[in-house]
Amino acid sequence: MAAISHILERGAEGATLGQRIWKSRIDYLFLIPGMLVFGAFIFWPMIASFYYSTLDWTGFGAHSEFIGLANYAELLNDEFFYSAFKRSFLFMLATVPFQMIVGLMLAIVLNNKFLKLATVFRAMIFLPVVSPVAVIAIVMVLMLSPFNGPINGFLIETHLVSRAVDLLGSPQMVLWTLAGIFVWKWTGITLVYWLAALQTVPDELYEAAKLDGVKTWQVIMHIVLPIVAPFAVVIGLISAISALNVFPLIQATTQGGPFFSSEVMEVYIFRTAFAPSSGQFPRLGYASAAGVIFGLSIMALTILQVIAVRRVRRKEAENV
Amino acid sequence: MTNTFSRGLSRRAFLQTTALLGLGLGAGPGFAQNLVKTEGLKPAIGPFRWLDSGGQKGEFFKQYLAKYAQIQGIEVVYDGLPWKEISSVLPLGIRNQSAPDTFNLPIGMEPSVAIAEGWLQPIDNLIPDFDTWKKAYPDGAFVEGVNVFGGRTYGFPFSTERRFNNALLFNQDMMNAAGYDKIGADRALTFEEMRDAAKKMTEGSGGRSFGFIIGGAQEQRWGDVATMLAQRGGATVGNTGLLQGMDLKTGQFAFDHDAYVAGVELLLAMRDDGSVFPGCLTIIAPQAREFITQGAAGMIIQGPWNVPIWEATAPSFKFGVSPGPAPDEASLDNPIWVMQLPNSANMMWLNAKAKNPQYAGDIFHWLGTVEGQVAYANVASSADPAIFPESIKLAKLSDRAKIMLKMAEDRVRVAPNPLVRQPGLSKVAAAYVDPTPNLAQAVQGLFSGQLSGVKATLKKASDARNKALDTAIAKAKAAGAGVSRDDFVFANWDPSRDFGPADYAKL
Repeated sequence: MAAISHILERGAEGATLGQRIWKSRIDYLFLIPGMLVFGAFIFWPMIASFYYSTLDWTGFGAHSEFIGLANYAELLNDEFFYSAFKRSFLFMLATVPFQMIVGLMLAIVLNNKFLKLATVFRAMIFLPVVSPVAVIAIVMVLMLSPFNGPINGFLIETHLVSRAVDLLGSPQMVLWTLAGIFVWKWTGITLVYWLAALQTVPDELYEAAKLDGVKTWQVIMHIVLPIVAPFAVVIGLISAISALNVFPLIQATTQGGPFFSSEVMEVYIFRTAFAPSSGQFPRLGYASAAGVIFGLSIMALTILQVIAVRRVRRKEAENV
Repeated sequence: MTNTFSRGLSRRAFLQTTALLGLGLGAGPGFAQNLVKTEGLKPAIGPFRWLDSGGQKGEFFKQYLAKYAQIQGIEVVYDGLPWKEISSVLPLGIRNQSAPDTFNLPIGMEPSVAIAEGWLQPIDNLIPDFDTWKKAYPDGAFVEGVNVFGGRTYGFPFSTERRFNNALLFNQDMMNAAGYDKIGADRALTFEEMRDAAKKMTEGSGGRSFGFIIGGAQEQRWGDVATMLAQRGGATVGNTGLLQGMDLKTGQFAFDHDAYVAGVELLLAMRDDGSVFPGCLTIIAPQAREFITQGAAGMIIQGPWNVPIWEATAPSFKFGVSPGPAPDEASLDNPIWVMQLPNSANMMWLNAKAKNPQYAGDIFHWLGTVEGQVAYANVASSADPAIFPESIKLAKLSDRAKIMLKMAEDRVRVAPNPLVRQPGLSKVAAAYVDPTPNLAQAVQGLFSGQLSGVKATLKKASDARNKALDTAIAKAKAAGAGVSRDDFVFANWDPSRDFGPADYAKL
């Protein structure tokens, strides 16, 4: 049997690339639909965005002018681009840790098999995840209204504030308010990821700890967290990318205002590409340049996190 | 948002509906007489599609197009979208070749640019007996550089720009209680009086309502309100688009004019007094309008379209109208200026790739007759006034609507328009890149407290805009356009009267 395998391997090594592809042609045939979809919706838009970023083009006319990297040069001098860029990552840093910590805490509580109504609580926490962003945005604008919103009513009634707070209209508070709404909406999905991670903790460990009289917080700190820690990298990556793609929420609530104080990169790109101010034309080329830079930065973040995942896995393998 | 019409209806039913709609809006019965099927039109290819910015004129078109669809036996799709959505949806539609047959152009887009980009086609050959039809219009309805280009008519005018786009509308009871019961069409508030009235309204309500409200999430409102206040203060500046804030006597943007500064300071003073509706930075103009009828705020600066809307939706609400406030008593009679007589924002343009241009021509033809204009005026009221003066006289309008129209007649004048004088400026408009922050954004930033120093901020915005215009002129020149900054200067302009064809001829 071993001899046959050896012959097959040698045969494979000796074949040219073309011969190997031909040999696996059926496999490649099955890959074609996926590759077409990838090409049309991922690869081509990436290439097209870069091409458009080299044009001075409104996006709707036949006339466009190749201007090389001039859009990039202009972006580097655009303080609103920098502000939006910074705000996007600030938003990510403000939401992801919260989402992960709160999600993990809830997951540990709801993972308790003896907790009655755990399923009901899980469903309730997950409910905002499946609610449309536009609906949540409208409800939140009403809830947070400083004129007659119930949240301000509650704050005033309980004497936590003396006058209504304009949470979405205050330049100082709007981003943090949006971050709060974002965390509330998406913590449910992080909870599900953590619950999946918690299933990897063997029951025997809980039982052994119980027999040894270990306290709950010690179980969490010394048994649960070390086991689920590697999952944090993946969950963090997913949550970070989600926090950078926050266009629907912001567009439906503040549209980046007041005076750009909640304008993150996606809103900036949208404004320059499709919704210019009165008396001005859209600048699809310029917006594409901003999109390319933002896309590359997300890609860099992803690569860093992929490297982190590999390192964690390598460490795990070494420990085993 | 989309309404599809395709069933038949009699002429009598249309007249009844128009009359009822007019009555419902407090505008009286309609005068439409013979809405009959036009014979000889080619069969429609798919639905005939119409896109405009909705509002009160949209109410008319929704009703009228439904009846038209029934009489002609075709399918009609009407979409009334906010301006911001038109700005994003229409360019995409043009690019994807899915744009409607006829549409409003996005605000700020010069028609000449749309023509150069291949968006539009002329309507001359689509309207029966075109020359006679055109002659029936009032003088100034068809202007080279506004809706006529190279001698061919592209924009269909049906409403006039002569309206008080930024009037003061107020809760009459609150205004009376504040001690300003004489305020109305003939007597506007001074800035100081407005501030005082807003303060008294707020204090008098015990915290239940506020003196002033603005749909501040709609960025452009800040630029429009500031410009109206500046015009009332005597700044001879353009009111919209690329020309907003440009002093047409000097050809320079003048956001730092004392009148602009005083106007913005009024807004900030009311904010500091606590007289401005909290949360106004997160609401849009229609929401602000609703808060007024609910008694949550006493005054708003908005257009005449509020009149028929409030009369229809809140018939028991007592409100008054007056021209926008002026800095002092000496400026109370100052006019405000618009850029041309026909309302170019409302104007309908024909898609160069329209599937059913013949139906657009047929509709334009009827709407450009006295009969069509009266039917239109009965519903559009003072919101988007009909362009035929006689149709306004024949239409049944509410008293407030009549006051609004009278205010416009008395105080709104047509300013010189550089694009009429020099069509080559469309290349400048196409090359122009608005700096950030622009006027509207700067005023919003000052109001929200993110920017400080009114004069310095406005000067910075003004300088940036002047520089951006110079850059655009240089680009247009490089592309072969024979334009210069002098094209924006109208030394012979008398701001107290309309700038007409004779004035252009003297340049």
